[in-house]
Amino acid sequence: MFYTRRTHMNKLYSNKLIIFSLVLPGLLLFVFALLAPIILSVYYGFMDYSGMGKAAADFIGLDNYKNLMGDKAFWMSLRNSILLAIGFICIQHPIAIGVAAVLDKLQGKAEGFFRCVYFIPNVISVAIIAYLWKFIYNPSFGLFNNILKVFGFAGKVNWLSADNAIWSVLLVLIWHGFGWGMLIYYTGIKNIDPVLYEAAAIDGADARTTFFRITLPLMKPVIQVNVTLAVISALKQLETVYLLTNGGPGNSTQFMGNFLYQQAFQAGKYGYGNAIGVVFIAICLITTVLLNKAFAEKKTARRLKNGTAGE
Amino acid sequence: MKRKLLATLLAVAMTATLLAGCTQKTTPTESTKTPAATTQASQAATTKATESAGPVTFKVFSNLPDRKTGQGLVEQTMIDNYTKENTNVKITVEALDDAAYKTKFKAYSIEGMPDVVSIWGQPSFLDEVLAAGVLAPLNEADYKDYGFISGSLDGFKKDGVLYGLPRNSDMESFYYNAKMFEDNGWKVPATYDELLALADTINAKGIAPVAMAGGDGWPLVGYLSDIMVKMNGPFSDIVTNAITKGDFSDPLFKQATDLLAASAKADLFQAGYDTQDYATAKNLFINGQAAMFYMGSWEASMALDTTIDEAIRTNIKAFTMPAVADGKGSTSILAWNGGGYAVSASSEVKAEATKFLNYMFKPENLSKIGWENGVGMSAQDETAFMTGKETDLQKQFLDFLKNASNTSGTPVNDCGTATFKTSIESEIQSVCNGTVTTDKFLAAIGAACK
Amino acid sequence: MERLGNKKRPLSKSILWLILIVMAVIQIFPLVWLLDFSLASSNELFTKGLLIIPKKIQWGNYVKAFIDGNYLLYLRNSLLINTLAVVIVVIVSMMAAFACRRMHWKLSMPVKTILLLGMMIPISATLLPNYKIYSILHLTDTIWALLIPYVAFSLPQGFFLMGSFMESIPVELEEAAVIDGCGIYRMLFSVIAPLLKASIATISIMTFLNNWNEFMMAKTYLSSPKWKTLPFAILDFTGEYSSNYAIQFAVMALAAAPAVIVYLALNKHITKGLALGAVKG
Repeated sequence: MFYTRRTHMNKLYSNKLIIFSLVLPGLLLFVFALLAPIILSVYYGFMDYSGMGKAAADFIGLDNYKNLMGDKAFWMSLRNSILLAIGFICIQHPIAIGVAAVLDKLQGKAEGFFRCVYFIPNVISVAIIAYLWKFIYNPSFGLFNNILKVFGFAGKVNWLSADNAIWSVLLVLIWHGFGWGMLIYYTGIKNIDPVLYEAAAIDGADARTTFFRITLPLMKPVIQVNVTLAVISALKQLETVYLLTNGGPGNSTQFMGNFLYQQAFQAGKYGYGNAIGVVFIAICLITTVLLNKAFAEKKTARRLKNGTAGE
Repeated sequence: MKRKLLATLLAVAMTATLLAGCTQKTTPTESTKTPAATTQASQAATTKATESAGPVTFKVFSNLPDRKTGQGLVEQTMIDNYTKENTNVKITVEALDDAAYKTKFKAYSIEGMPDVVSIWGQPSFLDEVLAAGVLAPLNEADYKDYGFISGSLDGFKKDGVLYGLPRNSDMESFYYNAKMFEDNGWKVPATYDELLALADTINAKGIAPVAMAGGDGWPLVGYLSDIMVKMNGPFSDIVTNAITKGDFSDPLFKQATDLLAASAKADLFQAGYDTQDYATAKNLFINGQAAMFYMGSWEASMALDTTIDEAIRTNIKAFTMPAVADGKGSTSILAWNGGGYAVSASSEVKAEATKFLNYMFKPENLSKIGWENGVGMSAQDETAFMTGKETDLQKQFLDFLKNASNTSGTPVNDCGTATFKTSIESEIQSVCNGTVTTDKFLAAIGAACK
Repeated sequence: MERLGNKKRPLSKSILWLILIVMAVIQIFPLVWLLDFSLASSNELFTKGLLIIPKKIQWGNYVKAFIDGNYLLYLRNSLLINTLAVVIVVIVSMMAAFACRRMHWKLSMPVKTILLLGMMIPISATLLPNYKIYSILHLTDTIWALLIPYVAFSLPQGFFLMGSFMESIPVELEEAAVIDGCGIYRMLFSVIAPLLKASIATISIMTFLNNWNEFMMAKTYLSSPKWKTLPFAILDFTGEYSSNYAIQFAVMALAAAPAVIVYLALNKHITKGLALGAVKG
């Protein structure tokens, strides 16, 4: 009887027509709205095209890519995006997981309240966030300098100077992304069966042990999702940077997303901008593959470890 | 589950109504909003119903989103007047700020360019536009009697063919808070050294000397161009030469850049100037936190902007870049014709669109309404429109132009391609805040020309 | 060990509460700041202080924002487009995720990878090509010009999350449903969907917020006011020469209000769904 049940289910689950109908809408949308423009974009990446007018201009093969490799603005954007990704993973995510775990324990009205409030900055438009931080960073009347003055310093720091700008921008981005990360981790934690916690409590584990031995390992898939999203988002950064500094001063706060936009639409180098886009996608792909490998290895390594521990 | 069902039903219902609505072709027939008219000369009196042609609709694409003040108001007024006088015509307007405008312009150049568009008569914009054949040629002879100032049409021509008409005569200047100057016994500087000395005095008082929108890049290059014209007189040949060769080794560039960098180092501008944008810089000035504001003549409308505190608004005056020691161009000024209008080559109502274009540029329209609203200067002779109620600022700018022995033409950043423009507007921030040396700056912008 | 724990708890607990409260203040500050500045007049904005106490509360800012900002029209469009987008994304991503994660077919891996690739596509690279495509199909300036890309760009994320959360649903449930004679579709929407309440809520919020404030695509694909969304209300007040910050802030506050309300509403569903889902056994 078990055998028949399995075959029946297997047949049902292999029904080609149903599978097709399930994925069709998604695939259609993908091809039409994402794949098609990207193919066009790759095409333009091989052109010297200003973006103006109907006819694409001359085919210049890999020239755009060659120029890109020599463009110091490109390397700066890459560096900044990497810095941001590190900031996300090493600063934002640990705090987010910690907060999510704490909130999970809180229960009751307090939990709902804090969860709600922590996410608020993500609900309002990025334009407002950018405006706000511009005010905060203003050397003459901004909040940070005012606070410095309260503590007796001169309070004349130029937060968006050529040297400081990137750190100031990173702060804004890390702070702003916090809400999302926390929300996803929170949902992940909530999906953990409370039975496991009860079992741990019976065994006498305290909060910290429970967190590190039970919560974290069970969150591995969620962590992987979140980290991947974070890295991609670090590369994609456009709107906030555009509104805060537009890559300036000089190119010190340039990010890949913003650099692409600037070259394609402001510098009249549409073909070049598209080449940047292609490189951007390539980097995202490589990173995702690397991350997948890193997380898979951890899983196998752990399983091995657990196996040899005689469980 | 119920919620899901409800949501799905709702979605189906909405999609159904949508599809019903979508089958109608959306022909834009919305007429434009009429703003609370603050213009002193609304020509609503003449309503000659011209029913000669059938109904015509065309679209104006503008870079002036604010339809209530300044140039946007002037533009909107003309559109409203035209539709009143030509009842068979409907005009729709799409307005975006400069950056968005240029992006959308590119999209439109692929398909669907509106009939009348704003353009800039400068190589950085026009070169690639004309190369793509986007604009319709105009008959220069038609505009003989329109009073265009000599030379103002040059930037709008290519190979002798005219493609657009200039809307503004722009120049750069230092706006200053006359009351603040008077209260503190400060004098308008006559030489550049005096300007720097004045800056020291103002800084000592805890006020920013000059509000500069360095975050946008182009005001700094404007300032650089201003220094250059004072050092050398008109510079277009030198600049064009440098751009064509990609070589900025002419000593003029180095001298001017060095002076600008030194001024920035001496705290001539507000703290954080290199990342603050137009609006922030302007706000510093109109709220009395900066003594001066370096910006173009189009801001002359500040004198009539009621949102500005009266104490400041009625006391705004201007002076041009002071003479630089050993400079050959002490009577030259930085002035050019930038913004303008053109007709799209792919317009289906070219005749009507051109008719509207010509209507706008009739001296009694753009120039007169602009002048009466205190909006800078047009590219046409405006002496006939002196109402006697001019603001001091307007009179000052007229004088500056009148007394200049010659003008510079387009500022440096707009003399080359868009690539050059983006590069110099970004690099100038670095050379001003000292991150990059003058030589590196000149090398970088030279490379951007290749 | 127990005793030490007891002694530590009150102190560490209060520190914990303090941190939580400080963080809450930091997070809610932008909203407070926005409201505060929106009620001031333009020239009071450049104060040396942190928040302003306006000399006179400028309700007029909101009136102007409402009327001149075409608020109702843009609000209607935003609500319509965003609600539709959310519903479509949830349904489509659930279907696709189920197919790729649970159903047995050879191509499930490649299809999954392809759909996930969508996450790496930068919007700015698709602006002009999509414009060209929509233009040829006469879709520009219609609701589809926004609906299609909004759904398409939120789909990979939704698909990703849906898949991850689906993994935690035991196969036994599906087996039970099959025994009961459920077809795939019925099982998907009657059995599995309710268990994914938390994920649906999360994806809904993410999709909604991704698109609520989106303006780059809106600026490029729309021209006439007919389908303009809320971000345009802000853009309408941002001119190169416009210096009326206070009204801009009022507009932004009005634009943020619906998003905050929707968030608060969906927020409760996360808890409700979790309460039900956790007792699945």
